[in-house]
Amino acid sequence: MKCGAGERNAYCVLLREKRTTQTRYEKRDKRYEKMETVFIGKLKPFLDAVAESGDLYVPKKSERHYVFSRYTSSAETPVEFNNIRACTPVKEFLFPLRELAAVFPEPVEPEDIKPFAVFGLKECDLRSIEILDKVFTEEDFEDPFYIARREKMFIISSDCFDPGESCFCNVIEGKAYPDHGFDLNLTQVSNGFVIEIGSQKGREFVEKHSELFTKASSEVLVERDRLRTETLEQLEKNNAELKFDTPIRDMMNETEASDVYDVEATTCIECQACTRICPTCHCFYLYDTRQKDYFAKMKMWDSCMRMAYAQVAGGANPRKVLGDRLRHRLMHKFVYFLDRYGLQMCIGCGRCVDAESGGVDIRNVLKKLNEELGKTKVKT
Amino acid sequence: MKPTLYQPINSEVVDIIDESPTIKSYVVVTEQPFKFETGQFVEMTLPGEGEAPFTPSSSPADTEKMEISIMKAGRVTDLLHTCKKGQKVGIRGPYGHGYPVENFVGKEVYIVSGGVGLAPIRSLFLTLIDRIRDFKSVVCRYGARTPEDFIYKKTLFGPWQKINGVDMKLTVDKANGQWKGNVGVVTTILKPDDVNIKNAVAVVCGPPIMMKFATLKLLEFGFADKDIYLSMEKNMSCGFGKCGHCMIGKYYVCKDGPVFTYDQIKGYPKIWD
Repeated sequence: MKCGAGERNAYCVLLREKRTTQTRYEKRDKRYEKMETVFIGKLKPFLDAVAESGDLYVPKKSERHYVFSRYTSSAETPVEFNNIRACTPVKEFLFPLRELAAVFPEPVEPEDIKPFAVFGLKECDLRSIEILDKVFTEEDFEDPFYIARREKMFIISSDCFDPGESCFCNVIEGKAYPDHGFDLNLTQVSNGFVIEIGSQKGREFVEKHSELFTKASSEVLVERDRLRTETLEQLEKNNAELKFDTPIRDMMNETEASDVYDVEATTCIECQACTRICPTCHCFYLYDTRQKDYFAKMKMWDSCMRMAYAQVAGGANPRKVLGDRLRHRLMHKFVYFLDRYGLQMCIGCGRCVDAESGGVDIRNVLKKLNEELGKTKVKT
Repeated sequence: MKPTLYQPINSEVVDIIDESPTIKSYVVVTEQPFKFETGQFVEMTLPGEGEAPFTPSSSPADTEKMEISIMKAGRVTDLLHTCKKGQKVGIRGPYGHGYPVENFVGKEVYIVSGGVGLAPIRSLFLTLIDRIRDFKSVVCRYGARTPEDFIYKKTLFGPWQKINGVDMKLTVDKANGQWKGNVGVVTTILKPDDVNIKNAVAVVCGPPIMMKFATLKLLEFGFADKDIYLSMEKNMSCGFGKCGHCMIGKYYVCKDGPVFTYDQIKGYPKIWD
């Protein structure tokens, strides 16, 4: 029997109930349950209004992909609406590649973060923020730099209508349109955009610029729902082959010792692109520098796929072997993180598949583990 | 904005003690009051050079200063070994969970340690002997490569051996002229009747290979997995369960450890590597 969407969802609900701690943002989301919708005909006046309050980052086509770049309002600049997630992982806005973590002996006041907005985030991106929130806003050890950016970020998401070849969010609890975690969410319909209000901040924005918006008619809402269903169907079709007989966590646990990891890792060239581009990967390392009149501690992204990542000074290293590093990376995503925080640490965005320079495809690894488990079960 | 998470406390090395050819103890005084529990660790920064995790070897009861024993093992510790008295350093922490001393009350505490593993054990030992009557006994089995490699020689070879309630045996892998004690790795002096296993806890701290074989021996004696406390050495960098370097399975050694019971971690791959 295949594990269908219904069962998967039931399993996820079960996991959510197990969550012990809620982040400050989950608590805030919970308070804002009543969604309201408005309508706007054109994107440009909307973006111009957003850009009044600070820097706005918008998706811009770069070859095959979208990347975020700063919005400048001018008649010549075409306004793009991305139908698929951008290539840039949202973590870049909250947890930059490199940042100053401490200055000593005399501490300095941290950089003042100004309000900024990001437009065109997708449901997978919002789930990646939820995952990073778990890590960086844990009550006992809140990361002040993350929180400073998170507080100032105005999140404008939009529905995904053109899932890519590598997208498999529907297999990992996703559904291509968000229902929480945003300030405003846009759905492109034939004559404009339906805007959902998802937070107090979002509501204040709409109220401030009320002249831009009209009431969303029942027709456009019907159209929106139809488009959403069609995208979901498209995703289900694209990933019809990616079905598991057991919930992923259990499958991974039961096949932990599998040599699938070692076999798949033979195609890895250790470029670490998968971890850099992954919106949920959050490993970092701290290093010290000496400046003219002060010392600084810097914080920079790291990758668990790196050979010396877990090595201690004496030389011991539990994950010297590449296959062990791949195993740890995927076990962390689907088992360890989930056991700890009640969420899987993969959002099914497929960025790692697109960025891969070697031949590792997370979907193939999962598929092979599923096959292997199937064979063991038949034997027993 | 709370800047304390990554901000080291300015500190000074006020004394340096040569312990062995490869190990020195640093007496550190922090600018702000600093408290820790035995078995917790700190991150010590050599300004401009780097940072490394160490478990203080002094008793938490001494709140004026902290002692940290450091073996030359890599870039940062090599540099630390060239430092002189008065060196400015940074201290972050304390981090993680130390030894649950209250759980040891009324029991025999069986301590197996070797090499620089004696550093965290010294802190625990000093904590235990401060209230020695609370424990049935403290049974110590320590090893070193050669007699010169033992640290804390002055107290280890003298006063610590004579404390009422403490049973201590030492061994070396390789003896020299003056050594009259046992020769052999630490597991050769572990005997099933050293303690009454039904009412004992074991504490193991040392090089990974020693910890592995000591744990196997203790299991053979009949110790329950949950009664074996292990001080795990992994690449702790941030200290608060975010950066990922020290993970053993779902655990962050820095936050959930560094002291674990064997039953917590035995299911994960390559814990001794």
